[in-house]
Amino acid sequence: MHRFPLVILLLIICAVKCRMAKAEQSPGSGNVYTLASVREDLIRQEDTIIYGLIERAKFPSNSHTYDAKYAQIPGFCGSLVEFVVKNTEDIQAKAGRYKNPEENPFFPENLPPSSVPSYPFPQFLHPGAASININKSIWKMYLHELLPLLATSGDDGNYAQTAASDLSLLQAVSKRIHYGKFVAEVKFRDAPEDYEPLIRAKDREGLMKLLTFTSVEEAVRMRVEKKATVFGQEVSLDSNEDNEKRKFDPSVASRLYKNWVIPLTKEVQVEYLLRRLG
Amino acid sequence: MMLRFLLPLVVLASCKESNKMAKAQYTVDSARASLVRQEDTIIFALIERARFPLNSPTYNQSYTSIPQFQGSLLDFVISNTEAMQSKAGRYINPEENPFIPTNLPPSVVPRYPFSQFLHPAAALINMNKEIWKLYFNELLPMFVASGDDGNYAQTAVTDLMLLQAISRRIHYGKFVAEAKFREAPQGYEPLIRGRDREALMKLLTSVRVEEMVVKRVEKKAMVFGQEVSLDHDVKGGTYKVDPSVVSLLYQKWLIPLTKTVESRRECRKIKTLNYNPSFVKRID
Repeated sequence: MHRFPLVILLLIICAVKCRMAKAEQSPGSGNVYTLASVREDLIRQEDTIIYGLIERAKFPSNSHTYDAKYAQIPGFCGSLVEFVVKNTEDIQAKAGRYKNPEENPFFPENLPPSSVPSYPFPQFLHPGAASININKSIWKMYLHELLPLLATSGDDGNYAQTAASDLSLLQAVSKRIHYGKFVAEVKFRDAPEDYEPLIRAKDREGLMKLLTFTSVEEAVRMRVEKKATVFGQEVSLDSNEDNEKRKFDPSVASRLYKNWVIPLTKEVQVEYLLRRLG
Repeated sequence: MMLRFLLPLVVLASCKESNKMAKAQYTVDSARASLVRQEDTIIFALIERARFPLNSPTYNQSYTSIPQFQGSLLDFVISNTEAMQSKAGRYINPEENPFIPTNLPPSVVPRYPFSQFLHPAAALINMNKEIWKLYFNELLPMFVASGDDGNYAQTAVTDLMLLQAISRRIHYGKFVAEAKFREAPQGYEPLIRGRDREALMKLLTSVRVEEMVVKRVEKKAMVFGQEVSLDHDVKGGTYKVDPSVVSLLYQKWLIPLTKTVESRRECRKIKTLNYNPSFVKRID
């Protein structure tokens, strides 16, 4: 006699599980990100950032690139790098770049809409928090702190190419830092009970503490420095004497991560989580 | 009669003077050093393009319907990006060659005094149409995985960066040729005057050097494309781009096309040789 309700209960449980599984498999449902996949992506992004550092270090500081008084572009107020970044983002926006939630523009004001068919990128992030954009801080850090460490003083006239390589590197650094939103969402979904009390109490410090793993951060910094050493070396067929010559100082890469990339990624995570329950 | 004698001397002297100014910048050794550094740029760009699958809608004209624009998403990104970079002064540098040169807007920034090392006729050599074809028809299918991840704009951007790096390398042949000519004109002039393209190509070819280049780029692809972790050093066999694709790229296309540019540049040189009027010939 008790069997009938039990069978119904089992059927209901099965039906719910099936619907959940279906949701997990369908695109647009948002379960394509996991802790493992996010970690793997961050590791791959290290290489992109280091290649970007190396390519920027090809040019000297070329300070005219950053001087609004030098450029004097008709109809545009700003430096050559601002001109190149703003206009390139406009082109890429029309081409659909910023439809991908992983991408964040440096000049979001008046960005033209996409003119291409909408691709069904997974909508994994919480809508209230997905639009966090700290690119203004990244821009300042890049121009005032990173570039002086990275580029040797000098001028070779290649300001347009300099600005283009600045943009590639800025986009790579920005993507990594804003990936904190995906890291935060994955962590939250994994253990909401750990985060909810701190979020409700708006406990920034508590959240930052929960998100900090010093040993992991140190391992990231060391790996980045190792990669910078390997990718930045001069490779020749002759011998192992190559190791002395380098395209850039590998410690710049580890400083970039230690002083800015890791802390700013955590800042993004904290800001994201604070809006997660909204 | 005195004037006829003096005039070539004056022209020769002024050529020598401008040669001295420009020579400071490009020599055969400095050109070779630049080509070696450019290998790294090309390999990084290959690796970054290989991050994305083929993403064929990027190249499909009927996929996009961008208002007031006819062409694929790639065409849109490249033509607009080059137009903007042109305004920013990119193509004032003789080392840079646009893929879509028609109607390129002029630079709107102060003009930087780049060294005018090349002779004007040779400076106009632009092989980007050939480079474009080989890139999409032969190279891309070799190193990019099939598939679609929706990142068409980023795909087009990485295509452009790789195309620009390849184009710069190949067109650097102009500088290599000019430097070689200036360092040993007696070796080239008879062949140029005799329009002996085959002998010219032979003179420009050093099989030993070319073999070294091919081996070196393969080694670089292994070093720059390897997975680096703290656990162990080189993880054999896993590379972000297949090193044999890189060596093939150089062997089959980059080296031959660079030499084509060098020999075309030598052939156009004769048009502008003006220090000895009696030797000037018209060449098509």
